[in-house]
Amino acid sequence: MSATRYRAPPADALLIRELDGLVALYHRPSGATHLLASPAPELLDLLAEGTMTRDELLARLVDRYEVADAAGDLLDARLSELIAVGLVSAT
Amino acid sequence: MDDNTPTSADGEANGTTRRRALMLGAVGAASVVSIRPALAQAAGSVLMCDIPVPDAGRARGYISKDGEVVAAGTAGSFAPPTRPLKGEEVRRALASGSNLPGYDYERSRAYLQYVQRLQRGTAGFTCFASVQMLRK
Repeated sequence: MSATRYRAPPADALLIRELDGLVALYHRPSGATHLLASPAPELLDLLAEGTMTRDELLARLVDRYEVADAAGDLLDARLSELIAVGLVSAT
Repeated sequence: MDDNTPTSADGEANGTTRRRALMLGAVGAASVVSIRPALAQAAGSVLMCDIPVPDAGRARGYISKDGEVVAAGTAGSFAPPTRPLKGEEVRRALASGSNLPGYDYERSRAYLQYVQRLQRGTAGFTCFASVQMLRK
């Protein structure tokens, strides 16, 4: 069985502004606005570079940032939130 | 992502590249608050955002019991917390009347008064506004 792959919306589907340490993101297809706290913007940023599995995403995250708590279950929790609001799709 | 996102790895100092620190956070917390069209209501539980006390421009100040930023050492005031407050900590303390984690009653009340006085444009305001939204 192949691992689940995760994908972010195309860049033209999003309007993004930094807002007082948070990131405000307008998702054009749904018309929903989201306030994102770290690490959600960073995850979307990485997934915008291409679809990847959870483990691939974790590896990229650790490669790019100093991640103090790099654990698969925590990344799953963050991905689940992004999936729940329609900002990440899983295939 | 556009240029406005604070998502790139930071900084070079003295010729060495320093990677930005990141926390994935707790399983029970959340990093997204959603505001849906025609339904100005937040979905989600807790926003993992920071509220600096006081803001960086007044970082040396103490916090009076009324939540004002006063000169360091002012009688009856408190030294600021050693790290920014978390949105979740503030939400929980305001909702239940409990203390902030690691702080006694008086100090917690002073810090919460400061947070409740935050104005638009002050660091932490958006986090506090989001927390307020989640309380309703």
